[in-house]
Amino acid sequence: MLKRSIHRISLVAATIISGAATVTHADEVTVGVLVPLTGELGEFGEIVANAVELGVAQVNAAGGTSCGMLRTVVADTGGNPELGIREATKMIEAEGAVALLGPTSGVMVALVDMAKRTETVVISPYAGTITLNELGGDFVYRTVSSDLGDGAASGLWLTERGYRTVAFLVQNEESTISPAQVARTKLENAGIELTDYVIYNPGQPSYQAELISVLANEPDAIYLAGGQESGVTVIKEATAGGFEGEWLFTADLAVPEIFDAAGAELLNGRAYVEFADADNSLPEYKAFESLHMDATGGEPGPFSANSFDMVNLVALSLESSGECSGTGINQTIRDVADGGEAVSSFAEGKAALAEGKDINYEGASGPLSFDESGTVSGSYSIQAAQEGQWVNVRFYPASAFE
Amino acid sequence: MSLLAQYFVTGIATGSFLILATIGFSLTRQVEGFLNIAHAELLGVSAFITWGLNVLAGWPLLPSAAVAIVVTSVFGLVIARAVYDPIKKLGPAVLLITSVGVAYVIGGGVDAVVGTGIRTLDIPLATTYKFYGLRITNYQLMVIALAALTAVTLALFLNKTSTGLAIRAVAANPELAASRGVDVRKTSRATWLISSGLAGLAGVMLAMIATLSTDIAFHQILKILAVAILAGLGSLYSVILSGLIVGVAMDMSVYWIPAGYRPLIAFAIVIIVLLFRPQGLSGRKAA
Repeated sequence: MLKRSIHRISLVAATIISGAATVTHADEVTVGVLVPLTGELGEFGEIVANAVELGVAQVNAAGGTSCGMLRTVVADTGGNPELGIREATKMIEAEGAVALLGPTSGVMVALVDMAKRTETVVISPYAGTITLNELGGDFVYRTVSSDLGDGAASGLWLTERGYRTVAFLVQNEESTISPAQVARTKLENAGIELTDYVIYNPGQPSYQAELISVLANEPDAIYLAGGQESGVTVIKEATAGGFEGEWLFTADLAVPEIFDAAGAELLNGRAYVEFADADNSLPEYKAFESLHMDATGGEPGPFSANSFDMVNLVALSLESSGECSGTGINQTIRDVADGGEAVSSFAEGKAALAEGKDINYEGASGPLSFDESGTVSGSYSIQAAQEGQWVNVRFYPASAFE
Repeated sequence: MSLLAQYFVTGIATGSFLILATIGFSLTRQVEGFLNIAHAELLGVSAFITWGLNVLAGWPLLPSAAVAIVVTSVFGLVIARAVYDPIKKLGPAVLLITSVGVAYVIGGGVDAVVGTGIRTLDIPLATTYKFYGLRITNYQLMVIALAALTAVTLALFLNKTSTGLAIRAVAANPELAASRGVDVRKTSRATWLISSGLAGLAGVMLAMIATLSTDIAFHQILKILAVAILAGLGSLYSVILSGLIVGVAMDMSVYWIPAGYRPLIAFAIVIIVLLFRPQGLSGRKAA
């Protein structure tokens, strides 16, 4: 807790200090880090901000881009789109940011118009919302796959486990309903009985009413697509109510804090979590993992590799285009991500570009290739709760869904 | 049928929590004459003090809860003295808008102190009892018992003590009460202490049954408003009836319609009742 607080204070201090110098130096190029540092998604925002800083340090250690060294300005959105727009405006207008990295789904969608109007590239490492399947692709990118992929992975896992009956508890948000629908279709096609499909509102003290029918039907498993606050209460109330089956959670619960909050004994041996994940068998991931361990002393968290990749893509795009602007990044980001000589770091890419070669950045989170909507195809992991921690039990590469 | 009865039982527990959350809010509304939106944030203050003492300091639940309720009570009075009293003469609309600002300040303060993520108390998992096939947990029973106990205690206090009678007199007609020798300022302070203490009690219940995030307290304000508006201005007994109606209706509605519409049910009831009874259940019109 203390460590986290100190870190947050340092991020705030970094914001204030960088905010004091509102004019970008000629030998610097500014990148905004727009993440939730408070609120329910604060844990993820910190992971993203740290991974971005790690990427920036690597880029600057390699001599920076031809536009200058990367400089970051950090702001907390709290996951709130309104606050996100306000902070983004400050970053672009006062700080001269050419790219904004790290917004969550709701903030990303709110920023689409601004990104195009101000010609500023916005990239998210975890915004899976399917709304971006329509809106993304021009100035708006993500280094994570769409939520629909999460639904397909969840459906695949629930089918593989051999459950006969499954109940769905889905938080009333677009980002949880969309993948749940995909998983539901997958189950129905596999002939698995769906005992309940409950969409609930978060922020309630109790979810007993939502659980009544679910518990009465005694399903083999519950698919719980919800946030941490609602998720923990649901887990406790369902267990107290006599639920003895297994769980499949979605990415919001893929954090170690769940074991403290819900109680490890309720989860061990019967809970699983699905989330978009880097292919950690790839050498690029292993190199990132080693770098992360050296820099922070800990293993990368969820979306850490995706966040690291955002910085490298921005830096390589700046290097490749030679135009130190969002437009320059937008024009070249697809080229540096796909086609040409494979490179796995900014330093390698910079050297290859200096030799006049085309490059193909192979990211820590996997091979990055943007589709029309600016989205990469993803791979997914299933982890099991064992002895109070999440342990990898299944990995679905992108090819599993073809 | 037993499923429907189960929804009813759960609804009683939901309604009891709403009573605890709303009764202090309604008391302030009656005596001070405005909707104190920051009331919901006081639930959060109490919940996080309870959590801090119980989890961080390792105190047992009861003393943690007692300290949280007392601190929240005094905190509510301090806010009233520092913020609301100086602008009281500007009228209820200004006070209401100011209370929205106070809610944001308290919420921001809790955010800054508590930080990100979720928190839970160090208490055992709920125990479920079964009566005639109907499930109820010990925590739900505690909420129901506390709501009943609070209502009875408050009723006795308001009817049998001089301070309670003074509060009722000021609520009914502050000018007349003052002319008859009631110390309006002292009565106002007593009201703030009691209403904030009741928010503190609801906050302890919130910490016990819910998973705490820094915004969960503010999420309760719409339901608090629904119960308070449905109750009207007349008496605190109508808050009890209103809380139970809203709680039972919200939970029983899940039997027929998707659970995502529960909040809609709360406000649908308010709208329907006010169409036929604009003064609310209590029958007294606003001045």
